[in-house]
Amino acid sequence: MWQLEIGLEAAAVAVGASIAAVVWVADPWRWLLAGGAILACVTVAVVVPVWRYRVHRWEVSATAVYTQRGWWARERRIAPMSRVQTVDFAQGVLARVFGLATVTVTTASAAGPLQIEGLDRTTALALVDELTRKADLVEGDAT
Amino acid sequence: MTPWQRLDPRMLLVHPITELVKFLPVLIGLLIAGGASGTGPWALLGVGLPVGLGVVRYLTTTYRVSEARVELKRGLLQRHTLSTPLDRVRTVDLSASLIHRLLGLATVVIGTGSVATDSDERLELDALPREHATALREHLLQRRGGATDPAAVGGNPEVVVVTFTPRWLWYAPFSGAVLVAAGAVAAAAGQLAEFVDIRITEDDIAGIGPGFVLAVAVGALVLAVALALAGYLLTNAGFALSRQGAAWHVRRGLLTRRETSIDVTRLAGVTIGEPAALRLARGRKVGAIVTGLGSDRAGSAVLLPPAPARTAAEVTRAVLGTAAPASGPLVRHGRAATTRRFTRALLGAALVVVPVGVGLALGGPTWLAAIAAAALVVALALATDRARSLGHAHLDGYVVTRSGSVLRSRDALGSEHVIGWNLRATWFQRRAGLVSVAATTAGGKGRVEVADVPVEAALVLASAATPGLVDQFLDVAHDRAREVVR
Repeated sequence: MWQLEIGLEAAAVAVGASIAAVVWVADPWRWLLAGGAILACVTVAVVVPVWRYRVHRWEVSATAVYTQRGWWARERRIAPMSRVQTVDFAQGVLARVFGLATVTVTTASAAGPLQIEGLDRTTALALVDELTRKADLVEGDAT
Repeated sequence: MTPWQRLDPRMLLVHPITELVKFLPVLIGLLIAGGASGTGPWALLGVGLPVGLGVVRYLTTTYRVSEARVELKRGLLQRHTLSTPLDRVRTVDLSASLIHRLLGLATVVIGTGSVATDSDERLELDALPREHATALREHLLQRRGGATDPAAVGGNPEVVVVTFTPRWLWYAPFSGAVLVAAGAVAAAAGQLAEFVDIRITEDDIAGIGPGFVLAVAVGALVLAVALALAGYLLTNAGFALSRQGAAWHVRRGLLTRRETSIDVTRLAGVTIGEPAALRLARGRKVGAIVTGLGSDRAGSAVLLPPAPARTAAEVTRAVLGTAAPASGPLVRHGRAATTRRFTRALLGAALVVVPVGVGLALGGPTWLAAIAAAALVVALALATDRARSLGHAHLDGYVVTRSGSVLRSRDALGSEHVIGWNLRATWFQRRAGLVSVAATTAGGKGRVEVADVPVEAALVLASAATPGLVDQFLDVAHDRAREVVR
C-alpha cells in the first residue's frame, strides 16, 4: 500500500520536475536533468516504502502500547494502557482495496497519537477490541 | 432546590457605565447633532438606551449553585441556559476592572476545560460582591480537592508565598516585552511619519550626522524600555501567589485585577523560563504545567513574572514541595550532543559565510568579511551555550529537562503526570547514539522535551520516572537502536 501511495506521489513529483526542467533549462542540459529527476523519484518510490515497512512495528503488552514508525527520522512512542483515551479504526480507499486498516491510539496529550498503519482488517479489529478492553479496566479519567 | 440568585444590584451602576463607554461615539455624535438643532428627545434616548440595556441585563441574568450543578440563565429575547456538573469545574477565575474594584465587585469565570470559545458559552458571572465571589470560588474548588486533601478541611487560611515588590521592575526590560515594545514604537513612528507626511529631500539626508542617528536610537530604546516597564506594571503590579486549601491562587494587575486558581491535583509541573537576557540580569520566570490547560491559555498559568532567581527558586520549592527540580544537578549529554550543537550552528553560519566568501572572491568590499566573522562568532556562542544548557534528570519524582539558549527553559514534570514517551531519532542521531526524548502529558505544550540524549541515559530516565513501562520494550528498543546504527 505504501508502495502505491508513495509511487503515486513520486510519479507526480517526477512529472512536475521534468516538465519544469524541460521548460526552464537551456537545451543541452534539459533531458539530462529531467532524466535525473525521474530517476531520483523512482529510487525514492522504491526505497522509502521498503525502509518504512522494515522500521514500522508495534507491540501491545498488558500495561502499555508501543509503536515505532518513520524512515529517516524514526519515532518510538510508548503509552501506558491507563492513559489511553480513544482507539480509532480507519480505512482509506486504497487501504480498503488491500483489505488493510490503521489503528490510532490517542492519549490526553497534545504531543500526538500512536498510529499503527497497514494492519490487515481482522488483526486491526482484534487489536481495537483488545485495547478497548484493557483500557476499560483502568479507573480514572486518564489525564 | 436551591433558589435562583441574581447578580449584585451594584451592577446596575457598572453596566450602564460600561454601556455608556461603548456608546460614547454615538453619544458624542448625538450631542453635536443635538447642539446644532436644539436639544431634543434624541439626546435623552442616547443616554437612556445604555442604561436600559444595563437594567435588562441585570434583570435577565440569574444563576444558582446546587449540590451537583452550576446553572446560569441569561438573555432577554434569546434565552441561554448554561449548566455544568460541579465535578467538571476545573478553574475558577476572578477578575475585577477598576469600576468593579471601586464598587467592591468581582467577575467570576468558571472554566470547565471545554473548547468552546464563544462568549455565549462561557460560564461568566458578571459580577458578584467580592466576598460572595471568593466564597463561591472556594466552594467550587473545595468539591474537587477537598476530599483528597485533609489540610483543606476547616478554616482554609490563605498562605501567601510571594508578593510583588518594586524591585522586580528591574527585570522588565530583560523580558521579551522590550522587543514587543520596540516593535510598537517603530510601528507608531511609521504611522506618525505617514500621518505628518514629512517630505525628505536629499539635503536633509546629507545633513543627518551619526550623532542624530545615535540620538534617535537611544530615544527609541528609552521609549521601548519605558513601555516595557509600564506593561509589566500594568499586568503584574500587586502580584501575589498564595495557597488556600487545595488550590493555588495567582493575583495580579494594576487596574484590572485578575485572580486565577490552579487546583493542586492538576498542577503537573512547572516551567522555569531562563531566556538569555533574563539570565544576564539574574532573573527567572515560572509557569505552571496544568492538566487540561493547553498552551493557548498560557497566560492563566503564570506562577511568577520575570523576577529574581532566588524568588523563582522559592516559588518552585513551594509549589512542587521540593527544591531539587529547580536546583538539582542535571545529567549532561556528552560529546556527541555537543558536536551536534556545533555542526548545526556552523551549518547555519555557513549560509552567511559562503555567500560572503563568494562575494569577496568576486572583488566585493572588505567589510563583508566583518559580517562573516560576526556570523561565526554568534554561531559559536549559541552552540556553546546550547551545548551547556542541555541536560536532564529525574529528581525527587520529577522529570526535569533543560534546553535552549536564547529561550532556555527548565521544565519539571511530575512522574505521575507522564502519560507516555516519544523517542525520536533521525539517521544522524542514530549514528551518534542519540535520541530526542519527550515525556508526554495532558497539559501545557503536551510534552516535556529534550534533544540529543544518549540512548542509554534516555532509557534510564524513562524507567526511573515510570518504572516498568519502558522496560518491557527496553531491551528490544535498545537492540533496535543498535541495529539501526549499523
